[in-house]
Amino acid sequence: MRMDRVWTIARKDIASARKHRYVLYGLIGIPLIFAVLIPLSMLYPVLLGEQITENDLPSFAVPGLEPKQAMALGLVQMSVLMFMLLPAIIPSVISSYTFVGEKVNRQLEPLLATPTTDAELLVGKLMGAFVPAMLSTLISFAGFVVIVDALTFPLFGRLLLPDWISLVVLLVFCPLVGLAATSFCVVISAKVSDVRAAMQLGALSVLPPMGFYFLFTAGIVRLNWLSIVIFGALLACLSVGLLALGRARFGREEILVRWR
Amino acid sequence: MLDLALLDFLFTSKVQVLEMTQPAIETRALTRKFGNTVAVRDLSLRVRRGEVFALLGPNGAGKTTTVRMLSCLIRPSAGTALVAGNDIIQDALKIREVVGLLPENPGLYPELSAYYTLDFYAKLYGVPASERKRRIRDLLELLGIWERRNEPVGRFSRGMQQKVAIARALVHDPEVLFLDEPTASLAPESAKVVREFIRKLRRKGRTILLCTHNLHEAEQLCDRVAILKTSLLTVGSPTELEREFGTQRVEIQLKRITARILQAVRRIGGVRKVKRGKRTLTVEVDDSSEVNPRIASAIVKAGGKIVWMKQASSLEEAYLKVVEST
Repeated sequence: MRMDRVWTIARKDIASARKHRYVLYGLIGIPLIFAVLIPLSMLYPVLLGEQITENDLPSFAVPGLEPKQAMALGLVQMSVLMFMLLPAIIPSVISSYTFVGEKVNRQLEPLLATPTTDAELLVGKLMGAFVPAMLSTLISFAGFVVIVDALTFPLFGRLLLPDWISLVVLLVFCPLVGLAATSFCVVISAKVSDVRAAMQLGALSVLPPMGFYFLFTAGIVRLNWLSIVIFGALLACLSVGLLALGRARFGREEILVRWR
Repeated sequence: MLDLALLDFLFTSKVQVLEMTQPAIETRALTRKFGNTVAVRDLSLRVRRGEVFALLGPNGAGKTTTVRMLSCLIRPSAGTALVAGNDIIQDALKIREVVGLLPENPGLYPELSAYYTLDFYAKLYGVPASERKRRIRDLLELLGIWERRNEPVGRFSRGMQQKVAIARALVHDPEVLFLDEPTASLAPESAKVVREFIRKLRRKGRTILLCTHNLHEAEQLCDRVAILKTSLLTVGSPTELEREFGTQRVEIQLKRITARILQAVRRIGGVRKVKRGKRTLTVEVDDSSEVNPRIASAIVKAGGKIVWMKQASSLEEAYLKVVEST
């Protein structure tokens, strides 16, 4: 695979996506909400509020700590898990334009006529959605860490983030979710002929991280090595499966003849 | 003793001769089916190097499918083809390197500038960085859009967008160019510019395969045309097809038409029929290239004064005759 061709395609998709208003809002607005609004709205009331008793603690509170600390740490972990939604949402917004948009506007044919292999085209297109999504997630997470640490340092006397859970979420789960979301977009591109419909269907990519998030908030799953490994394995299987499905549907012939 | 230099020369010369004589495109029983529908059946034709060749045919005749197979976008169901000496099944990547494609729809990215668009495609075609800038500048200047190179192409008129799409097809200096309806839906002035550009490419010896519905365009631009309706119906130069299937007509406007002039024209061998208008004569002939000069000469000798003389197009007549006969 010639990486220069792959990056050329990815860079073009990024440049193209940046010119779309909604994509730009998605790339800036959503990460900003995750970095600033979520930690402030979740932690601030707890930290400023009255004393919490053991009986007030929700199921996701971390055991073995003072009630207020347990509540705060539980909320931080919950917010960290929410970061998996970012690489699910952003690629679906970008891919809706770069896959379905290009298909609808018949921009794929000249691209398919170039001397690039199907694999280079697919990886280039995937990277074009994946890279901005991951960059946004990383930048947003950095802001989130600063705000969370600034808010919680007086309560804990130490920096809560980054911890091993957040690093696993950020460096393993988020890329896997991003890969699954972009691959899923390739799969639906073959069937959908409308950018908005693609975005709506692409939003289904949030289901796996949302599922894990709700299992955690409901207290059914605790954040420990076992749950992390199981979820990671399921996510990896899903990502690889969707990638294989996307690869099978992403061939010149397939796109020109069968994509509707 | 064997002279190695001579052997090398002979071998190289032979290779060069082969390269010169080898057709730019050669299809052998090329067939494509979509489910039970046959889009192209047993298409066998040869396009010479440096030739402008038109594929004519009604909607759904298989022109675009043929171009897509030849540019290795889709595979044939049966048969094969060589493009610039490469097999469309075995050497798809190599073919994509040496052909340029202008699809029916320009398919540009409206949000990107003309320069960015060409630079993007030049990179994908592997044009070296040292050549890229110069080639893009040359093309944009030639097509008259260099001054607007940094504007998003979405702001361009349809004609200008078509020019950018043509520049995109040429950015890697391809050996063979496929143009699918290059002037369709263009304003007459833009269509004229595009046709003029195709003429320039022809003068430079570029091989061009043109799909068009515009018979006048095919007649003006092409060395040969093939009429296609799923299968190949006929192939030849516009004059050959007119001669074989159409009626060759010449229209002559005179200052005054006299009985002597009429008689002189009717007497010329190869003149089939003469129709008299107020000041116009419409003459049906066997072979216009041979007979027309004799008509002009006879009119002048009979004391007539020719205002203008023009060959009436009959490719359309030939085309309709061929297509409707199937």
